[in-house]
Formats: sequence, C-alpha cells, structure tokens
Amino acid sequence: MCDLFALSAATNYSAPKSLPIFATRAGRNMDGWGIGFFRKNRAHVEKSAAHAYHWGRFHDGFQRLARVVSSKFIIAHVRLRTSGPIDECHAHPFILQFQGDDWIFAHNGKAPSIESYRSQKVRLDNVVSDSGRTFEYLLDGMAARYEGSRDVFCLFTALADTSRQLIEEYPGSYNYLLTNGSVLFAFSNHRQFVLLKESKNLERALLLTTVEHGLSEENWERFSRPSGSIGFLMAIVGSDILFREDI
Amino acid sequence: MCDIFALSAGVNYTAQQYLPIFAKKGRQNMNGWGIGFYRGDQALVEKSSERVCNSEQVHESFQRLARVVDSRIIVSHISCPLSGGSHSAQNHPFTLPFLNHVWLFVHVGLIKGIENYVTANEPSVGVDVYPARVLEYLRDQLISRLRYTPHESLGTSLVKSIKSLLSDYPGHYAFFLANESVLFAFFNFRSLMLLRESESYGNSLVVTSIEGLSDKEWVAIEAEKNTLGKFLVAAGPDVLYLGDVK
Repeated sequence: MCDLFALSAATNYSAPKSLPIFATRAGRNMDGWGIGFFRKNRAHVEKSAAHAYHWGRFHDGFQRLARVVSSKFIIAHVRLRTSGPIDECHAHPFILQFQGDDWIFAHNGKAPSIESYRSQKVRLDNVVSDSGRTFEYLLDGMAARYEGSRDVFCLFTALADTSRQLIEEYPGSYNYLLTNGSVLFAFSNHRQFVLLKESKNLERALLLTTVEHGLSEENWERFSRPSGSIGFLMAIVGSDILFREDI
Repeated sequence: MCDIFALSAGVNYTAQQYLPIFAKKGRQNMNGWGIGFYRGDQALVEKSSERVCNSEQVHESFQRLARVVDSRIIVSHISCPLSGGSHSAQNHPFTLPFLNHVWLFVHVGLIKGIENYVTANEPSVGVDVYPARVLEYLRDQLISRLRYTPHESLGTSLVKSIKSLLSDYPGHYAFFLANESVLFAFFNFRSLMLLRESESYGNSLVVTSIEGLSDKEWVAIEAEKNTLGKFLVAAGPDVLYLGDVK
C-alpha cells in the first residue's frame, strides 16, 4: 500500500528530518516517489519511478529535495502500484488547475471502479490509474458546485459534498491529500492518518502521514473513519486543523 | 457606527485599491483608524486617533500605508465615538498572542456588560475599551478548549467560544479575528460585503461592512433570522466555510 506525508506551516518550511524517516518507514513501497510543493503560488512536483529508499540507501534526488524544498505545504508520496503502470508519470503527486489555482493531489487506496471515469473538463495526460481519475473527479465535483453556487462558494463544504458523492458513485478505499497552497485537505475512509504538532524531534510544523505509528516516538494523534460514517475530511491551514467533519 | 475591512490572499498583497475608498466611505467615523497586517508570523499594527478622512482628503498616513502594506492578511477599522476612547492605543486592531499565533482583532457593535470582564490569562490588552475585553474573552475560551486537546478543530472551537460569548454577553457583534494564515469573521447584525477578486487583481478575498467599495459583483451576506449569527472562514482567496451559528 502506498503512503502519504504532508507538512503544513504558516511560513515556508523544509522537512529534512521527517521526509527521510517517512521514506524508510514506508519502505515496502518500491514503485516510485514524489514530492509536491509551492513556490509563490505555483505548484511544483518532483517525482521518480525508482525506490525512495532501498537497502539502507535513500534515492539521491529524494534526499537532496528533502533538504532543499521549502514551502508552506509539502506533500510526499511513496508508491506501491495497485493501478496503472510503474513509471514516473504515474508517481504521485499530480497537479491540475481549478479556479486559477494550482492544486496538488496524492492518494493511497484502491478504487478500481473509478478507472472508467472520464472527465469532460480536466485531464491528467497519460495517467491511467484510479488516483488520476479520482483527482479529476474531485475537481469536476468542485467545479460543478462552483458553477451552481448562487453567491458564495465554500471550498470545504464543496469538497465534503464531492467526497461523499465519490464514495457513493465509485466505492473504494481512499486516503487523499489535496492542496491549493492556501489550505490542505486530508480525506480518509480507510487506514488512518496520524498527526503531530510541535514535534520536539522533527520539524515543528504540523506533520501528517499514513505511516501507522508516525515518524517519531512522540504522541502522534490518530484519525480514522468513525463507525457510522463513510469517511472524514480535515481542512488544515498553517499548524492548525481548522475543520474536521465526518461524512 | 464603526466600519471594518479585511483582505485575505494566497500571497502578500496590498489593499491600495480598496483601503482609500473604505476610508472615504467611512468618513463619518471621526475617532481614528487602524491597519493590521503580518510580517512573517508577526502582527504589526499602525493606528491613529485622527480622522481617517477630512472633507475629501484621506489621512496621509492611511493613504501611504494602503499603498505600502503587503500581507496575506490585512484588517482595518475606522472608529466612531461609540467604540471607546480617543487615544490611538484605544483604536482597533488589537493584538494578542495565544495558541502559537499573534492574532489581530477588529470589532463593530455594542455589547452591554462585557467591559467588566476580567481575563484569567496573560497578557491582557492594556486598554480600557470593551472590544479589547471581547478579544480577551475569545482568547480565554479558545485556550480553555484547545490547551489540552490541541488536535481539536480551531474553527469548531471558535464557534463554541462565540456561542458562549453570546450567552454571557448578548449584544451586537461584527468582528474579524485573524492570524497570519486564516481570517475568521462573525456577525449577528448589519451585513458584510464579500468580493472574490480575480487573479489579475491579486487573487484575493475582500470582506467589509461598507457597501460600494467598487462596482464589481459584491455579495451581501447577512445573519439569518432565528440564528445566533453568521460565521465565515477564509484562507487565502477562498471562503472555506460560511454558515449559521445556531
């Protein structure tokens, strides 16, 4: 199973401690890696189809980027292929535009049913995986709600509604991270996210990952789908969880 | 009645297009003005007890600040005599550090009894005007709710704090509470005007109590009847949440 990592801070931050630990603890993931971040308000992604960490050694590019990338939001993904071929193009994160903003998306889980989805508005070129289709579906859903909004378009509400519809139309297991450089959304309906604020051993930004016991021997808070709901959605800005809603 | 203004953007941006018009439209407010913004995670405030606008001339410093201040969050307030004293320190915005942020606060409205509120936490806002007590009250509530549960949602905790405030001190409220990344707004009277600016105008969100800052398509938002008020959360140029407090 793939794994996800996010750092969120009020000002630009690097993740030279937590990203390498993420790569080692997510060591079963052998089919690629990617790091997404923002420079000013433009999204950038560096990715590879190689191991992030293998036989005690980090991928040279991953290690250097972990030291160098500086952004309010950093999204990382290490891949174990369940859908789509193994190549750089299918490594996450992905970038698409919506409402003039760049959006970065990374996903873990398995949702074969959504592979047949075809967006009329956005397209991740050359990507043939459930993750790519999920990203397109989410932006389509938000676009439809944006066009249908009579006055004020509320991002959190639109994404919560779209995620609910996604699960209903295309059942599957979804953990995703989605950010436009101003807010980070984290959704889960399987496994869990663990979260740490004010780490004493790692970066002091808000850290979030799917790696089961977190990235340090500190008190990581576990968030998983409550019984009776089909998932939960969090909105994170800076080092704060602004909203968490069961769906 | 005082007036308030806020700008929220994804990157540092100036409000030079709107702040001078905000000052002119609010010129009947003759008891001072203030502009709050961020440098990194530090809140900075410039304020004055002088009139923001004299006949048709906007206060020179206000004009210069409007051109120069660039920040992801900018809040401004122009004061009427009801809002308190006449010393510049008594003008909004007020600041308080808590929960790992320095917060900016501006308020419009009338509340009975809150001037007697005594905070249990340090520091206090060192001025003797009731909006400062509103900020201290909200700070105290947020700290009590989040001190031992830091992973709780900030937005939900603020809504609970506002409900508590309205229960303890009923009155008319319209305020902005902001840190370096997020703008919160609550109001239970008047209406707020909201504009999402396009990318060519900074990809920003502007919210104000004054109508007609431009001829663009502003949206008026009002508190619904039979609710406690309206709550808005913005991050960058986006409204994340807009809903009723019940």
